[in-house]
Amino acid sequence: MTLRVAAYSKINDTENGDRIFERSLSCLSFLEARARQKKIGAQPQSRTQELKAKVEKLKKQRDRLRAEIDVNQNLQKLRSTMEGNEELEMADDSENAKLLMLMAKHTQLKDALLAHHLMGGYDVIKTNQDKSLCFSLATAYQGNILETYNIEICLSKPLRILRHNIPPFIPVEALAEEENMQKNVRGFLDALSLHLNGFAARKQQLKLVKERHASVEVLESNALCSHLVLMFTKPKEKTALLCSLEYSDHTRSLPTHVKIQCEEQDLSGSAQWQKNTQLLQDTPLHQALESMRKTGQIL
Amino acid sequence: MEAELEAELQKLQAEVTDLEKQLQDQRRVMDFDFRGNLLHTLGVVCSQSAVPMERQMLALRLQEEVDELEEDLKRQTQMNGIRVVSCRRRREEESLEKKAVAERAGGSISAQRVCVSGVCSELSFQVEFKLSELKFGSRTKQTLSDLNIVMEESDLQSFSSFLSRVEESQDLLLFFRTLRTFCERCDERRRTFAHLQTEHPSIVSLPEGQRSEVMTLSLPQLPGCVLLVHWSVQVNKEGGVKSSVELLPKIPENALQLFQSSPVAGAAEAFHSLQRILGVEGALETVVMAMSHDQ
Repeated sequence: MTLRVAAYSKINDTENGDRIFERSLSCLSFLEARARQKKIGAQPQSRTQELKAKVEKLKKQRDRLRAEIDVNQNLQKLRSTMEGNEELEMADDSENAKLLMLMAKHTQLKDALLAHHLMGGYDVIKTNQDKSLCFSLATAYQGNILETYNIEICLSKPLRILRHNIPPFIPVEALAEEENMQKNVRGFLDALSLHLNGFAARKQQLKLVKERHASVEVLESNALCSHLVLMFTKPKEKTALLCSLEYSDHTRSLPTHVKIQCEEQDLSGSAQWQKNTQLLQDTPLHQALESMRKTGQIL
Repeated sequence: MEAELEAELQKLQAEVTDLEKQLQDQRRVMDFDFRGNLLHTLGVVCSQSAVPMERQMLALRLQEEVDELEEDLKRQTQMNGIRVVSCRRRREEESLEKKAVAERAGGSISAQRVCVSGVCSELSFQVEFKLSELKFGSRTKQTLSDLNIVMEESDLQSFSSFLSRVEESQDLLLFFRTLRTFCERCDERRRTFAHLQTEHPSIVSLPEGQRSEVMTLSLPQLPGCVLLVHWSVQVNKEGGVKSSVELLPKIPENALQLFQSSPVAGAAEAFHSLQRILGVEGALETVVMAMSHDQ
């Protein structure tokens, strides 16, 4: 490149310039040809050259792998030391060591935040330029993690619920009043979480009943899943039984009242059906039905 | 020359294959989530060629992220009332059948084992479980299983039947909700007892120390006569937390004979009525005040 600049600056001196210019040009073309040759890699360099290049490449790969394995091991060690709350001694003060520490700290913090989330924490986030807080309410039933609901509360006094995606049959505003949200946000969220988890549990039970018990008909159900009427069929006589379940405590996943009736028979004397009524009150719906089916009481 | 190089090449290739397997084995167990700045940092730390300026810049950026994460953690700790001491995760292989089922349905399944130890208002706990994730396109289904909970020994009694139920139903959320409520009630007890002891040190004593379930009220002029207040916080197997406060007078035989009717039976009932009207704190205050006025 320097050659090219030199060539152009000499153009002013015409006579001499022409000669120098010519010579520079030929120099340039020679260099360009050589460069082109190098790029193409030209004819296969000797086998030795090829082998040397491959060895270099593998060496780099090996070093990189060793480094990554080391880093992973060091991160593990750092994490163990951090959790043991021992004093972290930095034997090595290099930039690399500092970066490693930061990496370990980063993963530790992320894991702690995950723990909070899994423990049913409210995952509080500041939003709206720090003027509001957004909370997440997780629901789960029998190990299945179900829907997550969100609610945004404005921090200006008095506290106001800005928005949420909670279904209308859950009395959010009423709970806010009852639980004194103004003074105790966590108490309000706890109560809301109870209602949401109760609902999620009942909804899930109904879903499993529909999936696993085709012979049980759901005659009535409401959006809150707090009122259910099912129809069972007795296996031998094929008589129909009507079962109504009331869940008057909306925070619970089990019913408060269960009634089983049969048109043809009076079941109040039957010890078996008394037991079944109790079973339905003490056990999750889909499990109770499973047990009744296994013992041949219903289809 | 060529032969030497070829030999070296073979040796290196074997080394690299071995190292790749080692790295895979590591990754199979460890579950570091490398992405964004963290991934970039991994690259820099592993390479020999990064410029010091690049390392410094990365360190600054990573420090910023770490600071933000620490702020976030503080907020969560305050909001959730629980302090996480450690959270360790490990990848776990799902059974071949589960993997096959998932793949047949067009999805994928992965699992990890999570172990969290923490403290809720001085009560330590350790929770371990398996978290499986089933992915179908953009939908994810998470399931918790194999739940195992260990609590500090001293509180195991009140919790044991609840714990076994919760472990069976894998209800992690219920466990923490109940734990928090239990701790809140115990804190109420501790505060009330501490307050009464500070105000009336000659009458009130806590035989079991700070976190005592029992508070004794006695007057120096009446040796041997003690009013025992037992404030128990119980957890039933469904996770309901209930406080109950009982008043038991302990009066020596010779003193009892001085009374016409039994003062003991009446006192417990009377205290219950007082509680219904004034609440626990009010009732206890009233009793202690009554005793201090007698002095």
